[in-house]
Amino acid sequence: MLFACALLALLGLATSCSFIVPRSEWRALPSECSSRLGHPVRYVVISHTAGSFCNSPDSCEQQARNVQHYHKNELGWCDVAYNFLIGEDGHVYEGRGWNIKGDHTGPIWNPMSIGITFMGNFMDRVPAKRALRAALNLLECGVSRGFLRSNYEVKGHRDVQSTLSPGDQLYQVIQSWEHYRE
Amino acid sequence: MRKAGLWGLLCVFFVSEVKAAIVLEEERYDLVEGQTLTVKCPFNIMKYANSQKAWQRLPDGKEPLTLVVTQRPFTRPSEVHMGKFTLKHDPSEAMLQVQMTDLQVTDSGLYRCVIYHPPNDPVVLFHPVRLVVTKGSSDVFTPVIIPITRLTERPILITTKYSPSDTTTTRSLPKPTAVVSSPGLGVTIINGTDADSVSTSSVTISVICGLLSKSLVFIILFIVTKRTFG
Repeated sequence: MLFACALLALLGLATSCSFIVPRSEWRALPSECSSRLGHPVRYVVISHTAGSFCNSPDSCEQQARNVQHYHKNELGWCDVAYNFLIGEDGHVYEGRGWNIKGDHTGPIWNPMSIGITFMGNFMDRVPAKRALRAALNLLECGVSRGFLRSNYEVKGHRDVQSTLSPGDQLYQVIQSWEHYRE
Repeated sequence: MRKAGLWGLLCVFFVSEVKAAIVLEEERYDLVEGQTLTVKCPFNIMKYANSQKAWQRLPDGKEPLTLVVTQRPFTRPSEVHMGKFTLKHDPSEAMLQVQMTDLQVTDSGLYRCVIYHPPNDPVVLFHPVRLVVTKGSSDVFTPVIIPITRLTERPILITTKYSPSDTTTTRSLPKPTAVVSSPGLGVTIINGTDADSVSTSSVTISVICGLLSKSLVFIILFIVTKRTFG
């Protein structure tokens, strides 16, 4: 009985978000965004960058900077569009995070969702298993910290906008996730 | 060993029945008379951008009542007003927004957004909405009405980019409705709590019905196999 209680307590502790690579670590430019997200968030939108992939911490940190540079300097946005970026090195990179509204989907969805992108193009291949694990861990820690509703729903980018994102293969994977709802 | 296998099958039937019968949790909205209910119902853009959507009321033990529907062409953003009901349809953003203004206690009940495509079963969007409207106490607040526009007896059907030629879906209203804009109230909905109730009676009924029919099939198969091999 005592053992069961201890085990349950450990499970509760296990879902912290400390595995996320913070902005300072991947040397992000400062954010100029100010619109906040209300918590808990009900929707998660999964996309892909359709750009280069990366499979090491060095190359993924560089890729995250590249994406941010494109969004800030080319597109003129206040920051990288996504709330989180997933690298095929198996790490989660902090974008706008849990508290700031992203620019990942559209004017209706951005204020009511967390946008998670996989760095790469996943039309013809699935992301590395560690990348998928990282995303699921991120979602689990989001729920345990109260950023996501416990009955949150995952949508593919193409479910809510006219786009190919997150790519045929990644889309097929997320459709098998427990919280996916078309 | 065959007996164990057969009991295993029975278990599978039971489990699959319960899974199939799990309905969407209700989302509860607690509001006060005079307030506005706003519900956002997303739909799948690939499957339903061009489908008709509706807001329905679900009276206890009766057929769903369709209150307001989106108007053709469904491919363009549109706004439909039907008395206190407003449907804002944005097919490019995959969102249907429902508003019910000037809520009364009698508006309390169960509602839902659906993809409306008879004779097919409607597809429920978002969650069933459990609306609970209570009388506001006089010292809490009164809605600031700026301004009130008195409408005529006839129902209003406003669609952007499209002049309505089909008026058969409108209902005539018995009294004038007022469009109340209450900007001072700010947030118009309170998000439902996480601990929402599942309508257990409907789950139980569908589980039992399914179980009975599956048990019947199981029994028949059992008898047939016994006869063949027994």
